[in-house]
Amino acid sequence: MAGSEAHGPRAVRVTPEDVRRLCEFLYRRSGMLFDDNKRYYIDRRLVERIGATKSESFQAYFAVLRSDADHEIEQLINAFTVNETYFNREEHQLRCMTSDLLGNVIRGKRPGESIRIWSIPCSTGEEPYSIAIWLMENWRLVDSYNIEIVGSDIDTRALKVAAEGIYGERALMRLSRDVIGRYFQPVADGEHQIDPGLRESIQFTRANLIDPSEMARYRGFDIVFCRNVLIYFDDSSRRIAAENLYDCLGAGGYICLGHSETMSRISPLFRVCRFSDAIVYQRPEADHDGR
Amino acid sequence: MTDVERAAAPSRRRILVVDDSALVRLYYRDTLQKAGFEVEQAINGIEAMEKVLAQPFDLAIVDVNMPRMDGFSFLRTLRRSAADVATLPALVITTEAGEQDLDAARAAGANFYLIKPVSQQDLLRHAAALSGAPP
Amino acid sequence: MPFVKRDVTAPGSTGRRAGDDLAPHDDGLASHIAALGSPDIEVRWSAARALGGRAVAVPALATALGVEQIARVREAIMTALMRVGDEASVMALLPYLRSQDAADRGASIEALQALPGAILPFMAPLLADGDSDVRLLATELARNMPAENATQLLCRLLEHEQHPNVCAAAIDVLAEVGTRDAVPALQACAERFAGTPFLPFAVSIAIARISDTDR
Repeated sequence: MAGSEAHGPRAVRVTPEDVRRLCEFLYRRSGMLFDDNKRYYIDRRLVERIGATKSESFQAYFAVLRSDADHEIEQLINAFTVNETYFNREEHQLRCMTSDLLGNVIRGKRPGESIRIWSIPCSTGEEPYSIAIWLMENWRLVDSYNIEIVGSDIDTRALKVAAEGIYGERALMRLSRDVIGRYFQPVADGEHQIDPGLRESIQFTRANLIDPSEMARYRGFDIVFCRNVLIYFDDSSRRIAAENLYDCLGAGGYICLGHSETMSRISPLFRVCRFSDAIVYQRPEADHDGR
Repeated sequence: MTDVERAAAPSRRRILVVDDSALVRLYYRDTLQKAGFEVEQAINGIEAMEKVLAQPFDLAIVDVNMPRMDGFSFLRTLRRSAADVATLPALVITTEAGEQDLDAARAAGANFYLIKPVSQQDLLRHAAALSGAPP
Repeated sequence: MPFVKRDVTAPGSTGRRAGDDLAPHDDGLASHIAALGSPDIEVRWSAARALGGRAVAVPALATALGVEQIARVREAIMTALMRVGDEASVMALLPYLRSQDAADRGASIEALQALPGAILPFMAPLLADGDSDVRLLATELARNMPAENATQLLCRLLEHEQHPNVCAAAIDVLAEVGTRDAVPALQACAERFAGTPFLPFAVSIAIARISDTDR
């Protein structure tokens, strides 16, 4: 370009109608609802993302978003959700597991049989370890069954961190001092490491939700935690992942999604189940004629 | 709103609007909210089940053609659910005027049905009647 | 510790089911296709999933879809067709737009909506179909298309469309996807349906949302 003036970022005008259009798009795609009182959240993040994508107008940005170029939908959603992982995140689902789900799961099992629980994606391990600790602290039948807990992720570096089981104070903020004392040992730099016995009890594997052949190795799960990943997939990937997860569950098995996620945007395969602590989804016990 | 509050302000009935069209939902919501109803929305039968199981409603207004779980499938699932939600009144909105659709609506468990596009007066009159709001 | 660690990745360690003998990537194409006709639901389900994305299997998948009664197997067959995503798979899915069953219509729209490129050549005839329900459903297929394509297709529809519910469906898509080139057709539609319920409202919202594009 001729001339050498510096250009600051041009202020892109965003109207209230633009924001409504965006919110409607987000709601349709993800189920996340931003009504009028939460619109200010969106306004600021939208301007940030318009700048980050170097879009010249809202219309140009919206085209980027609609085509999900460079995972822009994920970037936008991440801009206004808290994505920290820590122990006992969404504790109400853990409570639902021990208060309701396991009671149903064991109805079809004899004492000593296996109960299989899967955390996918498990990221750096907070979720599968939380499940294990929660069960030991809260489920009176924890010693009556062979409980298998598997943590899987596509990211092998995260899996290494998970296997090591070392966490800082922030990750442990929801755990009481007593619980930390029971399952962790202090290590360098004010961090804590999961006791070796517990570390060795969890199987960590690499798995890709969308790959049917990888997922085919996982069968007969009673409870799956699949939180805060499907929301970022496009429609066809979600659909494929949901079919894979269905296949990995035993009949009557349960699946828990992240708190802003809903099967209504993902797949018709699962039944909606209400319990006092959570709404979860279930692979039906039996097939029925769809007609 | 507690049950006591709701009894004291009977016009604040809660209606769930279920339609995959954003503009239709907006139209129903604007109309119903101005008349004093509390309105929530869902884009298909699955989301409608989630909302109906999570909070009490006085009426569901349900479109037939929706992705992943259509209106009739939603009604059948609703009517098979726990007693506190199975009896939820349902106003079905269909595009057809044929007998086939009327029969299907009744068989699925609809309390009443209307043909789209629905006028504001018809919507309000039937919403009031079916949700038990005073005239 | 009450927890048991077993090697999940070892084959046979996790209670495999009937359909699992059809390993997804072995090239038993013929056996998968044959399995589509099995009396066992699990085998048909696994067969449909194993055939996902395999263009050669489209005719067999289409045939299976025509007779399958179990909802989740229908879903898996449609996913398999969607994963192929070519013209033949689009043609296998299109007939279900005309189904008497609302669930079938919705399911085929779901699958076709994921194929905006493959469905594009079919759009003009679909939007001119004699059946208003087909035209109505077809508008939804424009939603995932680039703004210019969707705008052009839906404006052409709006210019001649007499059925209010078809117009309503087109306007809903334009309110999300349309460029301001759609404004004249939208205004003409509002005039044509002046005094009727809903459509004037829908047009006003759509125009408010899209008329300021091109800044």
